[in-house]
Amino acid sequence: MRVGTDITSRLSDTVQPELGRIPMFIYSDPDVYRLELERIFGRTWLFVAHESELPVAGDFVVREMGEQSVIVGRGDDATVRVFLNSCRHRGMRLACEDFGSVEMWRCPYHGFSYGSKGEFLGTFIGAPYERVAYPGGLDREALHLIEARVGSYRGLIFATWDDDAQPLEDFLGNVRWYLDLLFGRAEMEVVGVPQKWVIPCGWKLPAENFAADAYHTATAHAFLARLGMVDSVAFGRDGYHVDPGNGHGLGIGVHDDEGSYYPAELQAEYASRLDPAQLEMLGRVKNLHGNVFPNMSFLQPNFIEVDGRRVSGIMLRSWQPAGPGRVQVYSWHLVERNGPDWWKRLGRRMYVQTFGMSGMFDQDDTENWEAQTRNATASLTRSDEVMLHYAMGLDGGAPIADFPGPGDVYDGKFSEAAGRTFYRTWLDLLLEGPQ
Amino acid sequence: MKLQVGAGSPPEVRVAVADFLVYEAELLDDRRFEDWLELFTPDITYEAPIRVTRKAPHPTIVDDISFFDENLHSLTLRVRRLRTDVAWAEDPPSHTRRFVTNIRARPAEVEEELEVRSSLMLFRSRGDLGAYDLIVGDRHDRLRAVDGALRIARRRILLDQSSLGTKNLGVFL
Repeated sequence: MRVGTDITSRLSDTVQPELGRIPMFIYSDPDVYRLELERIFGRTWLFVAHESELPVAGDFVVREMGEQSVIVGRGDDATVRVFLNSCRHRGMRLACEDFGSVEMWRCPYHGFSYGSKGEFLGTFIGAPYERVAYPGGLDREALHLIEARVGSYRGLIFATWDDDAQPLEDFLGNVRWYLDLLFGRAEMEVVGVPQKWVIPCGWKLPAENFAADAYHTATAHAFLARLGMVDSVAFGRDGYHVDPGNGHGLGIGVHDDEGSYYPAELQAEYASRLDPAQLEMLGRVKNLHGNVFPNMSFLQPNFIEVDGRRVSGIMLRSWQPAGPGRVQVYSWHLVERNGPDWWKRLGRRMYVQTFGMSGMFDQDDTENWEAQTRNATASLTRSDEVMLHYAMGLDGGAPIADFPGPGDVYDGKFSEAAGRTFYRTWLDLLLEGPQ
Repeated sequence: MKLQVGAGSPPEVRVAVADFLVYEAELLDDRRFEDWLELFTPDITYEAPIRVTRKAPHPTIVDDISFFDENLHSLTLRVRRLRTDVAWAEDPPSHTRRFVTNIRARPAEVEEELEVRSSLMLFRSRGDLGAYDLIVGDRHDRLRAVDGALRIARRRILLDQSSLGTKNLGVFL
């Protein structure tokens, strides 16, 4: 493909999700990236925080929506709001720390100050000076912080810049049934703060990995079998691949022969929050990985023995784009607030040792994503278009009919159906086509 | 007049501690991981809590979760993993060089133990284009004399970034 080709033409000519054909350049193309910031991260619902990170009025965390810094804050009326972290006067950041608790945000530059509902309160320097500086008065309405629309599902707080975006529940759609298994089964809480680090890779690579890639486990994480921690390739196959629609995707590994390792103390809470079909599925879950479009990933890793007990530590991720080939990772660990101490202690250790920045699984993934990104950048200017293979499952069976959860559910995890839907959704958003 | 600077440990203790930490760095840089494991006591706790950016005077370390939360069993598992031929993140291995400086030692409240604080700068280079990462932190160790030799009974690494600039922590700190 020639340099100078119109990017939307190149996308519509080459991205063919339904045929399992995706051109490599899209992983890291700067023009594609700008379109993504505008048409995906500027419009869709984005995960920003978990409710438990903001327990009381005044609490806030600083996050990103695309590359834009935002304040996620609980107001003095207990409502969670999301504001662009930018003073209306000169655009300076109002919150310069990772999290905190304040009664107002005061700009460190000229003192313009804002209440917890985003309302302009005045300039910090004081009313007399403000009257001297602005004898005509300040238009307080016009100085209200730029505010995103906020929605919440099972403690997961999302925001969007698009006032016309569909309701969050509709956007999540079928994936809600599965999110319930991880985030709705009990009162969940974030443990501490997220790990944060930077990976030199395009944001879509980790997102699609969590959505639709069960096949990499046997190779990328082969150490599991090598050290005798799992039996064989069947480790990655047994279960279901789910294409819930809207670009989301997930895989569920099951271990029907082993039973459940959840603490007995939590069973009543699970039963009170899940319907019977969800409860039964939770008991079968060996692992559950997925991605909510575009960039929120989640994982309940395999139950592995830690210090004598089998535990599994839930992980939540967001892949924040920080350039065409750069991602800032947020990785949270969540646990049942009412869980027994051993479950919390060992689950946290399990999370840190397996997933997370030092995780024995996570390390190998980052190696792949970085190298793919380098190759994608190099492919940008090749005279031919380098097409990649996303066809797994195209010649497979139809979705099964007797699964209790919604969406297109395939028997066995080896399919890329949800990956194809991820790229179809992505393409339609970039080209402003049908959604 | 003799200048008194704190109540530091005797010079021979400081030299022994410095030699020990430098030897440890050598084992890691030379990938002698099994020998490195020998430097820990069986009850080792090895942790790296999370650094955050906060306004003063708030603490900048969060202990509720960490980058490492290890005991001897899990450190051994990590080493066993590195010795497989499928530990992709570190095979080919990073080129590493650990610089251990600013070593301070003082007696712990337990006999035969020392509280040791040091600065670690870990240079890590992989691949091409002259790229490298620096992982820098403040190490707090509890060293214990076991049969006349120093051993690490506790390590706590406080990393100096609230968003780390290396793609994974596939290296020991």
